[in-house]
Amino acid sequence: MNKILVILAFMSSVFSQTGLEIAKMVDERPTPMDMSNKTKMILTNSKGKTRSNAMISKSMDGNKKQLIWFLEPKDDKGVAFLKIEHDDKDDEMRMWLPAFKKVRRISSKKKGDAFMGSDLSYEDLSSRNLDENDYNRLDDEIVDGKDCYVLEITPGEEANSSYSKHVSWIEKSSLMGVKEESYDKRGRLKKVKEFTFQILMDYHVIERVFVEDVQKNHTTEVTFSNVQVDSGIDKNLFQEKNLKRLPRD
Amino acid sequence: MKKLICFILPITTLLGQINYTGSIKPGNMYRLSDQSEISLPFRLAEAEVGYSLDDFEIKTNSALEYRWSNNENEFQLREAYLMWYPSWGEVIIGKQIHAWGVVDGNNPTDNLNPYDYYYMFLPGAERKVGTVSGSVKYYWNDWQFEGVFIPEHERNRFPFGETAFPLDIPMSAPELMDEESGSEFGFRIQSTLGSNDYSISYFDGRDRSFSYVGVTDSMPSFFYRNTSVLGFDLVSFIGDFTNRFEIGYFSTENDAESDMKTLNDGSYIQFAGQVEYSTENDIMFSLQIIGSEILEIDGTTTEDEFQPGMGTPFASFTDLGLSFSLSANYFDDALELMGNTFIDLKDSQSMLGVSAKYSPMDNWKLNLSVSKFMGEEGTQFHNMADFSHLKVGLEYHF
Repeated sequence: MNKILVILAFMSSVFSQTGLEIAKMVDERPTPMDMSNKTKMILTNSKGKTRSNAMISKSMDGNKKQLIWFLEPKDDKGVAFLKIEHDDKDDEMRMWLPAFKKVRRISSKKKGDAFMGSDLSYEDLSSRNLDENDYNRLDDEIVDGKDCYVLEITPGEEANSSYSKHVSWIEKSSLMGVKEESYDKRGRLKKVKEFTFQILMDYHVIERVFVEDVQKNHTTEVTFSNVQVDSGIDKNLFQEKNLKRLPRD
Repeated sequence: MKKLICFILPITTLLGQINYTGSIKPGNMYRLSDQSEISLPFRLAEAEVGYSLDDFEIKTNSALEYRWSNNENEFQLREAYLMWYPSWGEVIIGKQIHAWGVVDGNNPTDNLNPYDYYYMFLPGAERKVGTVSGSVKYYWNDWQFEGVFIPEHERNRFPFGETAFPLDIPMSAPELMDEESGSEFGFRIQSTLGSNDYSISYFDGRDRSFSYVGVTDSMPSFFYRNTSVLGFDLVSFIGDFTNRFEIGYFSTENDAESDMKTLNDGSYIQFAGQVEYSTENDIMFSLQIIGSEILEIDGTTTEDEFQPGMGTPFASFTDLGLSFSLSANYFDDALELMGNTFIDLKDSQSMLGVSAKYSPMDNWKLNLSVSKFMGEEGTQFHNMADFSHLKVGLEYHF
């Protein structure tokens, strides 16, 4: 019996994936070449009062290049945001401010800053570099009936993260994250994020993100509509000049 | 004709897209000294309407200027232009507001548009006057090449005869010497080096403010001098700090044909450096230093008498000033608090401002701000002390 247990333990260590391997599988899963959608963001405070934002987003290269045009609130209509992530240098972030008639370069280093006052930070919107994080596999769990890998992700110093760690639940069948907890630099739980998906052209595409900042008792619900994938967005779209061009609603 | 319009309008609407945005902003200003109303015009309503079809877009930006004291109102077409977006860049023709430079206001290198002195204390493009001009921008990798052509010189809008206006403006416009109208042009090249953006620019035109340039027929004569500006600006990031810097070298020539010239030519520099930092709880700090230095004057005009006709208007207050501001948003951006101060590092004068914007519901805002000017006798801000005011307003955005 002991022999069988030893063999099983040996087999499982050989054939089970490590955290990094799972992260690589997630990173390498098929993703759309490009994606566009209309995004609605509802912010709810601890007293239940809500405010909403609406925007149009276009992205490619797995969100490494992204353009967002704001539609609501009305006094922000026309403001636009361009993000280009680079592997070899700092990311570029620029904002078009119609009231100033100016494209303003903004820092990509303050990744912890809130995006449009929401519970999502610029870091939450950026993809994670495999080399800049440590991935530790925890025991598998079932979340909402979905069999999930559980990874503990610890950002390295080079990631310049505002978090100390994340715990991420990844559905085994789709390799999509369904839930994530993010911890602040003091190790306290900061945010809980839940993701739901739809299948479009064989891709799993995010349909809704629900983020709760448990320290502020504040939530943000992001829903995506009019989602289009692989529509052939030109890479030249991700230029400053297109910040000024509000796309067709 | 009506039938044709009825036929064309739905088709163009269907093919293209109409975008609009605007606001209604009633408000008023009261002196801190005696709570009396400050009778100056303000923009009661603004609307920006655009129509885009493929790579073309037409945009207009208009405003209704209003004055409470006499119900005086004036419609202003602030911008109206056609934009074309070819794959390589953008082309804009029409009445437009340009924006060069990287610091937030007080830009020495941003001289393509005159200023509207009625709105001198508003931010960004709000205080500029559109010029009929053409601009072309070409994008190539990390490079941007921009050229601007302005066929006719445009001057600042001064509030002549406005007793409520805080600056020392003549009661009426002085008689100007025949203006060499001529065209103006500028170009700007921007690129990225590492994580830094930098640009060089050149502008050749006429001053936006008139200057006393000499005597003709025993009368003082005023003129818009010919001035060129060589500019440089930089955006860099050091740690969590964002740094913006720009500098302009101005070379001005008095080409007025007066009997006796008080100035032949001169040169001066203006610079503005800005450091920004935002804390973990989203409080944004910004520190700006603004400076001006006369390098050379050829003529009988002294350095004290010489007035730059271009560049940042703040240079007319002081040769060296420090501006500090902080802003923070609370309650899901429903409340925006701002504080700012300007301190003259040469003379004893300063300005202090605090403001609050509260949005009780989507698209509505209540504004309250207080500005106080302080200075020793003989300084500009001392003369502006009675302009220290409380401003209240309401905004509705659509």
